[in-house]
Amino acid sequence: MMDKTCSLAQAIRAIAPGSLLAIGGLMLHRRPMAAVREIIRARIGDLTLLGATLGLDADLLVGAGLARRVRTCYFGLEAFGLAPMFTRAASAGTLELVEETETSIACGLRATLARVGFVASPAWLGTDFLRVRPDVRTVADPYTGETCVAFPAIAPDAALIHALEADPMGNAILGGNLAVDWELSLAARTVIVTAERIVPRLSAEADLLGQRVTHVVAAPNGAAPTSCHPLYPLDAQAILAYVEACASDRFQEYLSAWLQT
Amino acid sequence: MKPEFTPDEIIATCISRRLRDGDIVVQGLSTPLTLAGYILAKCTHAPNLVLASAVGMAVTLDWKPLSLVRDEAMWLDRPLRRMNFPSICREILPTLEPREFLRPAQVDPRGHFNNVCIGDWHRPRLRLPGCGGIADITPIYRRVELYVPRHDARVFVPAVDFVSGVGHIPDRPRDWYLVSDLATFDLHEGQVRLVSLHPGVSLDDVRARTGFPLRVASPLSETPPPTAEELRLLREEIDPLGIRKLETVGGAARAQLLKEIIHREMQSQRRDSRPYTTTQ
Repeated sequence: MMDKTCSLAQAIRAIAPGSLLAIGGLMLHRRPMAAVREIIRARIGDLTLLGATLGLDADLLVGAGLARRVRTCYFGLEAFGLAPMFTRAASAGTLELVEETETSIACGLRATLARVGFVASPAWLGTDFLRVRPDVRTVADPYTGETCVAFPAIAPDAALIHALEADPMGNAILGGNLAVDWELSLAARTVIVTAERIVPRLSAEADLLGQRVTHVVAAPNGAAPTSCHPLYPLDAQAILAYVEACASDRFQEYLSAWLQT
Repeated sequence: MKPEFTPDEIIATCISRRLRDGDIVVQGLSTPLTLAGYILAKCTHAPNLVLASAVGMAVTLDWKPLSLVRDEAMWLDRPLRRMNFPSICREILPTLEPREFLRPAQVDPRGHFNNVCIGDWHRPRLRLPGCGGIADITPIYRRVELYVPRHDARVFVPAVDFVSGVGHIPDRPRDWYLVSDLATFDLHEGQVRLVSLHPGVSLDDVRARTGFPLRVASPLSETPPPTAEELRLLREEIDPLGIRKLETVGGAARAQLLKEIIHREMQSQRRDSRPYTTTQ
């Protein structure tokens, strides 16, 4: 099928409860906020959230009670401080944490792309990460005998990626800040691309190929309040309002208002 | 008259002076103070410094004043080379070992450090954001360079709650360095050692705010303070909004400062008018 365009509600129905859901973008940049909002509206729960970093996007899902587990190397709001709902849930022990680092995520996705069970690295040796990730094993390098860590393949069930521009096939332009979205678009089974605009032919070179993209959705302003460089900067007032709402125990109030937008 | 300076300014100056011309440096997650230090080096003795973003946006030679709202623009609008996140961490970091100043939440006498949790991992008193790629690079790098904006016995602890950054490795010489708002440190015979006191700081001040018995270098020196020109660059050219100061305050004071910075930036920049500077 060449034309993968559909509504956001239709696209989100492809995500099953309990999925390993990858969130594209990075830090407070080009996060798929419109798609996240639709998942919260549809109350798709029991999710494992994966991201190179997680932030406002995943904090809303955690606060809404839809995340059972998170896998990332940084969960926070950059200059805006700790991610309040994550920090609360993780400190209270109500959220399962699968510790990741930059390398475990990069190796895991690249292993999936290469169709092997692991990619090896000297990362983590001498740290406590192996202690809290007993599923991650070490191997002896077959050529040198050196110990290295065999980072297991990561294959997301679904990925959400926000683009500046996409065509109906799912080829897309990401605007410079590429994050891990190329790898996600090839590793995930369901790939939902939301875009500021959908055009018949892209106006510049594609950052994503559409082959594995399953849904293409028009979502103007779909990354806000995170940035979508160079189209719009991050909305600092809106992110500050979120932090302040959580600090005064008004998360639910904030969420209800946000779901109306 | 000696110039007056603040903790962020002496830390940025110490970071700057550690760097050599032609080095490649990485800015980590949420560390504007390091970027201020890197740019300061670029403006003074290291015009050919190469800047890389840990989150993989790009490698760049040119810089803009620090921004909270448009921090991507410096990296993305005129990059030397665009990179994605896996390329930076799997290709650039292991091969080039870029300089990177890391901010630990806890550090212990062996130089190990922690950015994962305070308390037992299974039931933490406080969950922290995480260590990014620190656990990936510190097992292999020759250099480990840290900064602590608020020197405190809760940071300098007898044993870290979780080793997410590796300090001393037996039989492997490492260039380990730490600058706090009070002093600088190295690793001597596998133990953290006080090397220099910042101007106006006493040995007792450092001891009182360090949670383990300190080794002290002999002779103990004084950290050279920032020059008037370094202070001018930091305050007027590199970071007029004062974003670097967010790392040196906490709690309500930080929340207030954040609000003020956002207000100032929104006032001054309806559009991104910050010029690029090429020092090369």
